Amino acid sequence: MIDFTLSELQQAARDYAHQVALEEMRPISLECDRTEKIPDSFMWNMQRRFWAGAAGQARTQAQEGEEKQDNILSILSQEEMAWGDAALSTAIPGPGLAAPPILSQGTPEQQAKFLGPYMDGQLHWGALALTEPGIGSDVAGMSTTAVLEGDEWVLNGHKHYITNGARSDLVVTFATIDKSLGREGIRPFVVPRGTPGFVVGRIEEKMGLRASQTAELIFENCRIPKDHLLSGRESSKKAGFKAAMGTLDATRPMVGALAVGIARAAHEKTCQWVQEELPKGFSVYKRREIELELDEMGQELEMARFLVWRAAWMADRRIPNSKEASMCKAYAGGLVMKVTSAGVRISAPGENSESRQFLQKWFRDAKVFDIFEGTAQIQRLVIARRLFPEVDIP
Amino acid sequence: MLNFAPTQEQEEIRQLAQSLAMEQVRPQGRSAEQQGDISPALMKTLTQTGLTTPFPEEYGGSGVVEAVTYTLIAEELGFGDGALAMNIIGSLMGPLTVLLAGDKSQQQHYITPFSDASRGHLQRGSLGFAERTGGYYVTEISATIRTEGEQYILNGSKRDVIHGGQSSPRVVLVRLEGTSGTGGLCALMVPLDIAGARVSLDEGKLGLIAAPSAAYTFENAPVSATCMLGQPGGSGVLRAAALYNILRAGVACGTARAALDYAMDYARGRIAFGRPIVSYQGIAFMVAEMAMKLDAARLLTWRAATSWDRGTGCETLVQEGEAAQYQAIKIAKSATIDAIQILGGAGFIQDHPAEMWMRNAAAME
Ligand SMILES: Cc1cc2nc3c(=O)[nH]c(=O)nc-3n(C[C@H](O)[C@H](O)[C@H](O)COP(=O)(O)OP(=O)(O)OC[C@H]3O[C@@H](n4cnc5c(N)ncnc54)[C@H](O)[C@@H]3O)c2cc1C
Repeated sequence: MIDFTLSELQQAARDYAHQVALEEMRPISLECDRTEKIPDSFMWNMQRRFWAGAAGQARTQAQEGEEKQDNILSILSQEEMAWGDAALSTAIPGPGLAAPPILSQGTPEQQAKFLGPYMDGQLHWGALALTEPGIGSDVAGMSTTAVLEGDEWVLNGHKHYITNGARSDLVVTFATIDKSLGREGIRPFVVPRGTPGFVVGRIEEKMGLRASQTAELIFENCRIPKDHLLSGRESSKKAGFKAAMGTLDATRPMVGALAVGIARAAHEKTCQWVQEELPKGFSVYKRREIELELDEMGQELEMARFLVWRAAWMADRRIPNSKEASMCKAYAGGLVMKVTSAGVRISAPGENSESRQFLQKWFRDAKVFDIFEGTAQIQRLVIARRLFPEVDIP
Repeated sequence: MLNFAPTQEQEEIRQLAQSLAMEQVRPQGRSAEQQGDISPALMKTLTQTGLTTPFPEEYGGSGVVEAVTYTLIAEELGFGDGALAMNIIGSLMGPLTVLLAGDKSQQQHYITPFSDASRGHLQRGSLGFAERTGGYYVTEISATIRTEGEQYILNGSKRDVIHGGQSSPRVVLVRLEGTSGTGGLCALMVPLDIAGARVSLDEGKLGLIAAPSAAYTFENAPVSATCMLGQPGGSGVLRAAALYNILRAGVACGTARAALDYAMDYARGRIAFGRPIVSYQGIAFMVAEMAMKLDAARLLTWRAATSWDRGTGCETLVQEGEAAQYQAIKIAKSATIDAIQILGGAGFIQDHPAEMWMRNAAAME
């Protein structure tokens, strides 16, 4: 039965994340953005709150319940976190983007080996490395190579723009085992930090998400054990590429949820600005016009959220969702730009207040949501290819 | 608990509606536009399925209306033909408003004829909502009544009332003088042969031509107190207003889906520069955009419908219905316009239904 209400568990997960966002993120948000640094205390607080706290319990409960809902629970809290601060959300300790490929492509032994250490109560991060200086959208064209020598894989190549790349314990790195195979030759490898030949290059300075770490990773004759190749689940030749793409079907709704969170924050703040900070003597007609614009964006915000919810719900039910995942990511990515840029425009006549600083920060943060995890154009390509499976849309 | 799947039963009803829409409604879209109304034969077929009589069984209906189920039906009818869908739903809103706002004897009297096996399909109701001074928003309703002895004195206007010229019950949404917002809303049945009432049948319309409509002007028109459905200012009236918007949103989603589906078929088959036109991103992205925005608007519509079924508070419900119709009509307009673009010159020619759908979508506001 169609239902847009949250269960008690879902509501609890959302409320918990909101509380965290409000107490831990908002207060340090502007400062972290300015300094591009996150205090250790934040990391430890997140560690405690998320592994010992109610969210951890919610997760276990969800796994015990008859219906799987980890995607839903995760997007519900992602939206709240991004409402707090999207950059800080990306830095919360945990396996992060490394988890989906390990879970979908790792053997049970690999899962235990690689993900187990994340439960030890210490600070750990994980990363996923697909993008290279030479390729981004066209993942299949990557040039990082992996060659099997005896019991070891030898990796050579260059990745960039990798979130948490420099602080991660593990980086799931995609490389080709045979360039002539194209996408069929691509495989995911788990590379631990400290492996000789694996070095961190520059840390990027960015227009937005400034507190989020974006790193360059260099692999020079980097040797990892043979069993660090994730291909346990499927022997199919497509396993590697499918792993990369399958990961995206699960993570796009999360990125969509982050975009919705920022958009909601900006929408709320703009409404509040109009209520509280509108300069004296402001034209009443103009005010009415702004209110109508905000009403409409409020509706679009709900639509974006529903698209995200639906894609995550499908993922939990194991219903193929790449079209829907791309739809929610594309819609939310476009919307967050629209809402944040409207916020900056609408509040332009005001004093340089804290609200305006937040709005300006969110506007800078928003742009990347049209770019990472597949650009706006790539999402539309995915949707179109799903709508026309029989047509070759290059 | 979040869920995006209709029930098994709703899915079966939707499929029935879809097959009727494709086999019966769609093929008659053009001829109905020429006739300016639905054919009695088609209305008879639909009535026999029970789809157009969502009334309690005691009034001969097929079971009392549920918003989610009926939204699914409205989308399918709209997928068949937006104007015929509005013809059907416009009529249905008459008896449904009586059901939601009226008392037992009014229900018995006005609803039962719609279920009549031999003549029910000829029966038409109507609900006047939008006015010369606004759109489909409760706060924009400014037609008023005031009490004078045993009568109400009615002032104001109504526009685009589907079946408004020939309906029974002929319901109009009005407000008690001096009220605003969602307060004081009433559903009044109006005879048209009263002093101070002027009716004009709409002619030369842009779209929704297959849904005949009328406009009213009331100037100090006296209406008997017995014409009031239920209590003035009751929640039933607001639920009726919200339902109309939710179903209009359903029809608009159907219209958008028809355009999307038609454009997709065309884009697959049409070759330009040696390739199907959809293999060009300029076209593929347009289609992706249509599909994405349609899904977004449909979810907003479904949410409003679930709220209606759950009995969510009227203030919120009315707003959700208004948002749904606004967004759904918006995508219906853009999708039909884009469909024409994808068809190129053919889109402009009346051999294809796309231009009719564009006119229909634009006429829903
Ligand atoms: C802050 C940040 C964090 C990131 N984190 C990670 C991470 O953790 N891991 C990771 O692997 N990557 C990460 N990325 C990289 C990100 O995923 C890529 O930037 C993105 O996929 C786009 O690739 P590109 O930058 O090489 O752009 P390109 O692929 O070169 O695209 C340039 C332009 O061409 C367009 N384009 C490309 N192909 C087509 C086509 N077929 N049709 C139409 N238009 C096309 C694109 O839409 C874009 O507008 C991150 C990036 C940023 C900015």
